[in-house]
Amino acid sequence: MTMKKTLLIILSLGVVLNYSCQKEKLYPVSQTQVSNQDYQPFTTPARILSQVLALYNNLRGGQLYGSRYIVYNEVKADNYINSSNNGITAFTVWNATIGGTDSQITGLWSSGYSTINNCNLFIDGMVAKGNSVVDAATAKTYVAEAKFIRALVYYDLLQLYARPYADGSGSKPGLPLRLTGNSSYANYDLARSSVADVYAQIIKDLDAAETDLPSTYTTGTPAVLDAVANTTRAHKNTAIALKTRVYLSEQKYSNVITEANKIVPAVAPFVAPTGVPNALQSDITKVFTTPYTTTESILSAPFLTTETPGGQSQLCYYFYANAKALGTAEFNINPTGVVADANWKTTDKRRGFIYTSGSKIAMSKFPTLSPYTDWVPVIRYAEVLLNLAEARVRSTNTVDAQAIALLNAIRGRSDATTVFTVAGFANSTALADAIFQERNIELLGEGFRNADLMRLMLPIPGKGLLGAIPNTDPRYIWPMSGDELLYNKLMTPN
Amino acid sequence: MKKNLLQFLFVLLLLGSKAYAQSKTITGTVTGKDDNAPIPGVTITVEGTKTGIVSNADGTYSIKVPAGPQTLIFSSVGYITYKKLVTGLKLDVALESNQKALSEVLVVGYGTQTKRDNIGSVTSIGGKELSEKPVQNFVQALAGQAAGVQVTSANGVLNTPPVFRIRGTNSISLSSQPLIVVDGVPSFSGDGVSNNNPLSNINPEDIESVDIAKDAAGTAIYGSRAANGVVYVTTKKGKKGRAVVSIDSYYGESKVQRLPKLLDAYQYVDMKNEALKNAGLYNAATTYFALGTDAAGNTINTKWFDYIYRTGKIYNSTLSVSGGSDNTNYYMSANFTKEGGILQKNDFVRKSLLFNVDHKANKIISLGAKLSYSNEMNLQATSAGSLSGDAFAITGLGRIPLVSPPNVSPYNNDGSYNVSGNTLGFGANKGVSTSYYNIAPILDMNRANSENNHISSNVYFQVKPLPWITAKTNYGIDYIFTDSDQFLNSFQGDGSPNGSATDNFSKNKNWVWDNTIQFDHTFLGKHSFSLLLGNEQQYQKTTGFGLSRSVLSDNAFNIIQAGFTTNAASGLTYGENYLVSFFGRFNYDFDKKYLLTATLRQDQYSGFGFNKKKGVFPGAGLGWEVAREKFWTSIGADKVFSSFKLRGSYGRVGNNAGSGNYASYGFYGNGVFNTQPTLVATQTGNDDLGWETSTKTDFGFNFGIMGDRITGDVAFFKNNNSNLILAVSLPPSAGLPSRPSVNIGSMYNKGVEFTLNADAIRVKDFSYSPSFNISYNQNKILSLSPGVTSLTASTAGNEVTNINQVGYPISNLYIIRTGGVDPATGRRIFLNGAGRKVLYNPIGGAAAWTYEDGTTAPAISQSADAVNLTNSAPKVVGGLNNTFRYKGFDLNMLFTYQLGFSLYYGTNAGLHDQRFWNNTTDVLNRWTTPGQVTDIPKVFYNDNVSNGSTLPMDANVFNGNFVKLKTVNLGYSLPKSMLQKVGISSVRFYISAYNLFVITKYPGPDPEVSSNGASNTAQGIDRNTSANQRTITGGFSVKF
Repeated sequence: MTMKKTLLIILSLGVVLNYSCQKEKLYPVSQTQVSNQDYQPFTTPARILSQVLALYNNLRGGQLYGSRYIVYNEVKADNYINSSNNGITAFTVWNATIGGTDSQITGLWSSGYSTINNCNLFIDGMVAKGNSVVDAATAKTYVAEAKFIRALVYYDLLQLYARPYADGSGSKPGLPLRLTGNSSYANYDLARSSVADVYAQIIKDLDAAETDLPSTYTTGTPAVLDAVANTTRAHKNTAIALKTRVYLSEQKYSNVITEANKIVPAVAPFVAPTGVPNALQSDITKVFTTPYTTTESILSAPFLTTETPGGQSQLCYYFYANAKALGTAEFNINPTGVVADANWKTTDKRRGFIYTSGSKIAMSKFPTLSPYTDWVPVIRYAEVLLNLAEARVRSTNTVDAQAIALLNAIRGRSDATTVFTVAGFANSTALADAIFQERNIELLGEGFRNADLMRLMLPIPGKGLLGAIPNTDPRYIWPMSGDELLYNKLMTPN
Repeated sequence: MKKNLLQFLFVLLLLGSKAYAQSKTITGTVTGKDDNAPIPGVTITVEGTKTGIVSNADGTYSIKVPAGPQTLIFSSVGYITYKKLVTGLKLDVALESNQKALSEVLVVGYGTQTKRDNIGSVTSIGGKELSEKPVQNFVQALAGQAAGVQVTSANGVLNTPPVFRIRGTNSISLSSQPLIVVDGVPSFSGDGVSNNNPLSNINPEDIESVDIAKDAAGTAIYGSRAANGVVYVTTKKGKKGRAVVSIDSYYGESKVQRLPKLLDAYQYVDMKNEALKNAGLYNAATTYFALGTDAAGNTINTKWFDYIYRTGKIYNSTLSVSGGSDNTNYYMSANFTKEGGILQKNDFVRKSLLFNVDHKANKIISLGAKLSYSNEMNLQATSAGSLSGDAFAITGLGRIPLVSPPNVSPYNNDGSYNVSGNTLGFGANKGVSTSYYNIAPILDMNRANSENNHISSNVYFQVKPLPWITAKTNYGIDYIFTDSDQFLNSFQGDGSPNGSATDNFSKNKNWVWDNTIQFDHTFLGKHSFSLLLGNEQQYQKTTGFGLSRSVLSDNAFNIIQAGFTTNAASGLTYGENYLVSFFGRFNYDFDKKYLLTATLRQDQYSGFGFNKKKGVFPGAGLGWEVAREKFWTSIGADKVFSSFKLRGSYGRVGNNAGSGNYASYGFYGNGVFNTQPTLVATQTGNDDLGWETSTKTDFGFNFGIMGDRITGDVAFFKNNNSNLILAVSLPPSAGLPSRPSVNIGSMYNKGVEFTLNADAIRVKDFSYSPSFNISYNQNKILSLSPGVTSLTASTAGNEVTNINQVGYPISNLYIIRTGGVDPATGRRIFLNGAGRKVLYNPIGGAAAWTYEDGTTAPAISQSADAVNLTNSAPKVVGGLNNTFRYKGFDLNMLFTYQLGFSLYYGTNAGLHDQRFWNNTTDVLNRWTTPGQVTDIPKVFYNDNVSNGSTLPMDANVFNGNFVKLKTVNLGYSLPKSMLQKVGISSVRFYISAYNLFVITKYPGPDPEVSSNGASNTAQGIDRNTSANQRTITGGFSVKF
């Protein structure tokens, strides 16, 4: 072989080897999704804001406030009768035969923890990267929103998968407490924390959220209150309002009062003195109609024709009309439940939410048929007033005048003919019962009934042919997710 | 043959004798031994001289040789070189094709090898074995032709990719289909999900050979992608000599076969009324079934099969021209195929062109190219309900004729479509309704077409600076542009009431560039070394977009460009992947007696995790040609075995086919919240995601008896598949966005294969050569992911039918057992999980499920009561190929068989369903009176439990064993003496039959079926699948 030839071959070999591996092609960058490598989702302010909104989007998912969390807490209690016998639309939740491997048990559990993990990922990512991308004030509010949502979802999961706080002052098994984000394959076995520990974390998050959340959201110049944002995103009052709910569940009534007093004046009119001027509307029906952004709605899950709740995850579908025929729903109203209350007058505006057609009674608080665009209330100012009223009575054990004023505010706006007076109550228990019943009427269909019964360790009353379930019954709370028991070696059953 | 051999030996003895004198001229004709066709371009030389000529187009030759006995050497590509001592002046020679000889050339990846030198388990199938079969893609024609290879044609929809398995199912969640390498370019292959098989761009006529590599020695050079075996497809190249023009054309017809016998209108009305009565629903005034009358006054008795199935007409023509000079050869072909399927509106139309050219510029440089373009139209009106995921499609053509009432016509008496709302009209029936569409308007107006434009080309440049060094660079592309065009009419069906059209366009672009350098050297005469070093890169990019438009403005139009009021995006896909490899192969043999092959390949794949992109795949094989040992002769073994080679191989190969382009990534994706964009975690990453590995062990021997007139091949193998990728379930409370893909499962396949080829009879005018193969395979899952001992799999996401359980074969049937029909009550007896009898009463409610003693039993459910019933993968597969030749006649019969497996005939559940659905005639044997022993329960209107519609039951599981006469080809070649006068070298007329008959006890249309396509985990299901066709074609081929 001549030198020339050898050289030629070596040269061509060199050329070939030079192009023999295009390293960058081994690390392709997706053009449709953002890789989580190097905190890429935190590299621009727009991406960070999009993540915050995604957390609210998680919250309005079908398993949570899209409907199912609310539906389960309603139908597990006593105000509804199942009409569909459909095992995947809460029939077995209703008759308390649901098993741990049921998709309703595993679905809500997964959805809840998916939201919690997204909050955790966001909080971690902000520390690692996001705080250097957006200004410090914005970063703080975003993280506060994540903490708020994390607290809310932990609270929701406690209501279904753990014994009430009242049972042993939170000493019973609670939830696996996960506070760091998970994003890749690893060992995730984790034991349950106690109910009290989980509540403590919820309060810790809400305290932090209260500190860092904005007082209000504004829009335009000059800035005016942004009604949509103030309804769909958490602000200071939202965190405070939620704390009243959480402390009430822990029966920490003085804390309820402390928190509620921040946003409820001592006397009517009941309008929050700071932050968003959350207030009781004079007409309750306005709260449940478009644009759904009255100041009574402290936080709601929004829906539009282009953003609808998933199939079989619409409140209207469950409670009002699962087809075009009104009143033909998955669940009808239990005629011996709250609607049987003779003191709830037929002229009460809230009776307007009860739809009757022949023998069929249904709830029409969420009346919009397909595409089911009713906004779903997460926290209403009315609830805060009721939380405060109940806390005052139960903490003072007196026929508390402010509690009566609050009770009258709620009743009175829908039924001006009924006025409660101090004299009308034999003792504090009677007042507490009246407030509790008012809650049942006011918040019907909004997902409170089951949690309200349980926080007081009350039996779940019978309905239809089903007997009552006492608080000692294993069916009192849900079974643990079968998937969690299968894949988390440190998990324990309920 | 024997005589030839003796003569050959004689020639050898006389080698070297050089008696020169005056010259003389020897003349004669060279023909092919197999087909007696003249062979042009055969090089004829006089041994020991430089004298040489080439045979003419008609095979004749005339050569001047020195006087005295001379040895002529006849050589031509594709034939065994033939030497003959000539004493006379006339010599006609019949050359033997080397297709089946040991000197046959095998494609082994980046090169070729003679079969004698190869020690891998490789089966080579000649193009002729494929081209004579009326199939849309060559894979369908591979069935039964190679040991260890299972090819199952899943249904009668044209161009459905068959289930293609080499040595069992070797993956759980990735693909188990082999790697297909076409002319050196790893190509897109079918997934079984669509009827658009990308391999259908290859006209079977253009295939020179298909080589199927099964073991580590044969496949390791393709290391990372070889776990499922490698199939090398080589297209035809030109041969030296005058241009040969070949025309092959055939016409044929396909018909459906073995359809179930259904009730006619009279039987149907009686049976359904009886069911209504048994259910207490019958009311002579309001609720009943009744016969209707058509416009002519005749009773309506609709044979729905006639509206679904038809006689499909097939036209296929290929024109090719090939030839070459000393330095350049070429092959060019054009094909037109128009095939009508057995289902209405199901057509396959292909127009393809292929051009292969090779040129030797000088002693050092050679180069060549392949250009191939194909346009394929896969046409249908609506889903056949037969492809993966479609089994329960409401318009599925497999099911429609089974559920449509025979006493109802698709047309009203005025000729309009018979519809009620958005379903078939009820006819004379009262108080009952149908819930399926009237298929007639759907077949008339809907469209679900898919068009491919497929370009598959490559170019190479080769340098041989020294005789023992070959450097080659090869660049190939495989581009598929697919246009899917769907229209749903507004009148009735899925498009009602608005009408919609969806058109998706996708580009799949694949390029491959490989560079190899090979050193071949023989030292001291007996030590032959060959070393191949190479580098390969492959890059694939897929992009797709489309439009989905609904609410058609004007029913006169039906294309996507027409007026619609609502528009949405559709078919948005994007993905890319890149594979880069370095590899080497070292071959050594000593005296052709001891052979060694060692390969090493390192691959890096973009789709795997940051820590595991790289995989190293070694393989090695040893061979020992025992027959060349002296002791072999001394013990007299040579009297039995003319050749005997022991071989074994071991290696580790990989699989990445079907693993997503970005499966290892942690991803965030966009969404929307109250009109604002959101970004949220959507996929869990795994930086350790890497290759599935398959450790392959192979041991066997090849032998030849009687001068290799009989050759055989025995192989024992085991594939240990580990690191199988599964989506692993982690604690839900971890909140991960998806189940990460993890290398965690393991499974093995082991078995034995046996092949026997014989040149059994070869006398003057007659020959018979059979080829038989059989293989046995056992599969077992060894582990799945933590906490998981079994994974169930469903048919079309609807009916759980299979279980993949640790300790059992993959894809077993997961079925509830039954115990017949209770003679006292006519109720179906189910067996619960504990084996206790539970009777079903279709009356429902609390009394629906009772034990034999009448006490209430928990309702039978699949999760509680189904058992891992039996295997669905055949334990034994194989084929028997018989080739006969008598004078000008030739006959080939290929039998294929699959044995030792069961099928879940889910369709049979529907065939006994007591809703308005029609039934098979065996329902006439239903239980009617106490004490009656029968296997059909009492009919009860709306009962869909007793028959297995809601609970898959073993009464619908059947043995799938079958033997099929898969293809028959009978040809007649005109005598060449007749043709020579008109300058034609050969003419052959033939008739072919495909799926002529099947011997089976399976009651469904065809035991060769797969409702779930090539799914690994849900095989053995026959659910609403349209039947397979029987095709008969006749044609001719002419060469001149």
